[in-house]
Amino acid sequence: MATISINNIARAIYESSKGKDGVELDVVVKNAVRLISKKNLMNKSKEILNGVRKITDKEGGVIRAKVSSRITLEKKIIDEIEDFIKKRYQAQNIVLEFETDKKLLGGIKIEVGDEIIDTTLKNKINKLENYLITN
Amino acid sequence: MTKNYIVENLKKQIENFKDSVKAEKIGHVIEVFDGIAKISGLSDIKASEMVSFPNGEKGVALNLEEDSIGVIILGDFSKIHEGDEVKATGEILSVPVSNSQIGRVLNALGNPIDGKGAIKAEAFNPIEKVAPGVITRLSVSQAVQTGIKAIDALIPIGRGQRELIIGDRQTGKTAIAIDAILNQKGQDMICVYVSIGQKDSKLRKLQTRLEEGGAMDYTIIVSAGSSESAALSYIAPYTGVSIAEYFMEQGKDVLIVYDDLSKHAVAYREISLLLRRPPGREAFPGDVFYLHSRLLERACRRNKEYGGGSITALPIIETQSGDLSAYIPTNVISITDGQIFLETDLFYKGIRPAVNVGFSVSRVGSSAQIKAMKKVSGTLKLDLAQFRELEAFSQFGSDLDESTKNQLERGKRAVEVLKQPQYSPVATEDQVVALYALTKGYMDDVALDKIKSFEEGLLDYTRRNAKTFYKEVINDKMWTEQGEQELIKVIGEFKSGFNK
Repeated sequence: MATISINNIARAIYESSKGKDGVELDVVVKNAVRLISKKNLMNKSKEILNGVRKITDKEGGVIRAKVSSRITLEKKIIDEIEDFIKKRYQAQNIVLEFETDKKLLGGIKIEVGDEIIDTTLKNKINKLENYLITN
Repeated sequence: MTKNYIVENLKKQIENFKDSVKAEKIGHVIEVFDGIAKISGLSDIKASEMVSFPNGEKGVALNLEEDSIGVIILGDFSKIHEGDEVKATGEILSVPVSNSQIGRVLNALGNPIDGKGAIKAEAFNPIEKVAPGVITRLSVSQAVQTGIKAIDALIPIGRGQRELIIGDRQTGKTAIAIDAILNQKGQDMICVYVSIGQKDSKLRKLQTRLEEGGAMDYTIIVSAGSSESAALSYIAPYTGVSIAEYFMEQGKDVLIVYDDLSKHAVAYREISLLLRRPPGREAFPGDVFYLHSRLLERACRRNKEYGGGSITALPIIETQSGDLSAYIPTNVISITDGQIFLETDLFYKGIRPAVNVGFSVSRVGSSAQIKAMKKVSGTLKLDLAQFRELEAFSQFGSDLDESTKNQLERGKRAVEVLKQPQYSPVATEDQVVALYALTKGYMDDVALDKIKSFEEGLLDYTRRNAKTFYKEVINDKMWTEQGEQELIKVIGEFKSGFNK
């Protein structure tokens, strides 16, 4: 028998919980937990949860982006970033997550899925270092 | 150099630096072990694309799976942690190539390791390239002179050929390759020696030997030592051939030695097993044949319209107790255009190079042999094969007829003439003279233990006295009636002097 992948389980949980709420959803969640523990996959619960989230995001057209900067960003800039991401990824819903990191020195870094747009000073300095070494 | 100058220089370089912001693909390390990393993300990565780790180490994506990729790490993997950010570079792994690499020792990534300073790259060549197609090729017609009588006469190698050197450990496989490199002096040939999984002490010895012989003036050594990771051993031969191709593209002839491909296959097996690819025969992965065929197919001779130049490959395979039917030996034998088979028994009998003439062949090299050599070596191979059979047979009885006895005596002398110590290449024209004297029977009445000194004396004498013959062989690759008469006369003179 082929082994069940984490993606399979996540997909199954998503499919069975789709459009359900209240008591029905409770039952589905209980059953899902039972299935996971029966398959001895409790230690992978985090990955499964991530998988479910990924699928729901994809189906619902939700884009999650992480924005890192040295200081907390102003509202105007945040709106601009939102617009930019909406255009670039053609998404209806955007969930932004903010993070401040002093080590970035300046500029912003936007992470969407496995894509990264890095305009920070730290990255630029790294690039310059590389350039000076190789030339 | 003043401080100001340095600052000015830096300023200029910084001004030249252009930075563009673009979206990059990143991934995260899920697990790292034994030179392998499993990475999540990096969704649009290409096969064998380079990735870079935060500490500057490079990796190559080999396995592309549904939501993770398997990467081999080129270099130190002990500083790579779980969760590290990995960037895709968008480039296929390439190595720096340059004319100033000649005379240097490089690692598997093409960077110098001999402490003689940095090399400025003239270009970067991808290590994986599709071999030249049919229309760009030319059949083999020009010889690679190895300076080894047994090989040049019986198993000739042509430029653009792939000739396998195969044998047990300690039978002189590397010695043949090194002799061949040493003999390329003044033959307008660039040599690349790829050392895969060899001891560093052996490499050092070899490098010193090449330096002493003046061979480092046209040789590049690419080394992936046995202390380095399997990933580096795996890419080293491809690096070597990429460098060789750079010179071929300039219309030059290149000789490349892979020492040895059994260790290369073992390194690839290690990587494949760690990447959880299914093992096949002898636990090698399914594509181990393609691993070597795509490497050796890049040896070729290009025709004039496509720039000329050639790459001659001498792969080396180590067998276990003479077993030619193991997986890797049979694979590489079927890929190459012939093999030089070395035997332990012959080696300990004192027949060195220990070439087994019966099992060794060159499928295309005979068309590259010069006419004069073809003439003298014509029946030598057959004679030697018959001699071996008769030798075994004659041990049972002493009642042999005259012709058999003669054949045996001739065979013994042929074996004696083909013996040759290491690092002493013989020029083609000298080989022709020695083999001429042998095949025409001029050595039949020389005592067996005197053959060596007879040969040496004869070569010395003819070189001084048979000038017309030598000139003809060197210039026209063949002799005329007149030249042959002169040679016969000179051999006669020498013999009468030698027998006194």
